[in-house]
Amino acid sequence: MSELRTAGANPPWDGLDGSDRHAACMVAARDGDRTALDVLVTELTPLVWHVARGNGLDRSTAEDVVQTVWLALLRHLDRLVEPRALVGWLVTTTRREAQRSWRTNRGQVPLSVELTEQLPTEDWLPEDEALRDDRDRRLWTAFSRLNHRCQEILRLTVLAGRAEYRAVAEALSMPRGSIGPTRGRCLSQLRELLNAEGGSR
Amino acid sequence: MNDIDPRDDDRGHEDAAVLTDLGRLVHELDPPPVGLVERIQFAIALEHLDVEVARWERAGSFAGVRGDRPGTITFTVDNLTVMVNFTSTGERHRIDGWLVPAGQHTVEVRVADHNSTTTRADDGGRFVLSDVPAGTTQILVHLVNSQGEPGRTVVTPTIML
Repeated sequence: MSELRTAGANPPWDGLDGSDRHAACMVAARDGDRTALDVLVTELTPLVWHVARGNGLDRSTAEDVVQTVWLALLRHLDRLVEPRALVGWLVTTTRREAQRSWRTNRGQVPLSVELTEQLPTEDWLPEDEALRDDRDRRLWTAFSRLNHRCQEILRLTVLAGRAEYRAVAEALSMPRGSIGPTRGRCLSQLRELLNAEGGSR
Repeated sequence: MNDIDPRDDDRGHEDAAVLTDLGRLVHELDPPPVGLVERIQFAIALEHLDVEVARWERAGSFAGVRGDRPGTITFTVDNLTVMVNFTSTGERHRIDGWLVPAGQHTVEVRVADHNSTTTRADDGGRFVLSDVPAGTTQILVHLVNSQGEPGRTVVTPTIML
């Protein structure tokens, strides 16, 4: 990320990680530091992308929604009282935009949680023809058969498992009661589907 | 501390193994599009940040103008609809647009790596920019009230022309 740093003095987020880093970037962005915004976009766009994709948007629509969310953040820079709340705001806003997109573009009712849990999806994941490994192919097929809700939760889970997304883990751990059991249920469903595809090994 | 670490679960290692594989597949097969971060950084590099976002309304399976096919795109925000038609003239584009409700608002077209092009809509809300370079493109509408005083600014996501 060194190319993003301003010349001369180190930026205030230098050496920080997780939500501390995002908070420092948010504070700097409020003071007009455009580099700070670019850092946030670079580091958190994968999060916004996977929430959009996990909510059933095709890649083109997901790209529009991701841009819309970042543009919407501009006027919320001063309204997000707690800079650490950025990740949660991005996830919530992306879900809302994704559901709105479903409604307006497909003439369907917005996807409620109940509906996303009932709706299996197979038609929008990238082709798996490139997958040489049989186990990979079976896992990807099983994943594609999960409902949207589970696909989003598992995408966020694997994203949050990476060191640079510690803040995602922090943000998602807030609604402990709901995300934990739901994730466990989604993992069970995934393993059942994987077994149905010919065993987990 | 990490509440969503799967190794905390009783089912433990098998879940962790599945998640490790799934994480690899998600990142290999479905990463954000190449150049998306740069397009967002262009889109948000605005003079004033207090902007309203107009959403791209895609009708049905309309695939937009990501290729070189001319077409009409509609963007909407609460009380403004921006319709734009792009006609390719080789390396450049002609943009015919229409604002609803009509108003003599200033329309600015930003194209990455080029200067902005600006025009004003007529009293019927129509505007024409006859010679816009191709590239990552964003439209801004600087609204004026009935006295001609400046008000809100509406921005669109970028489109690739």
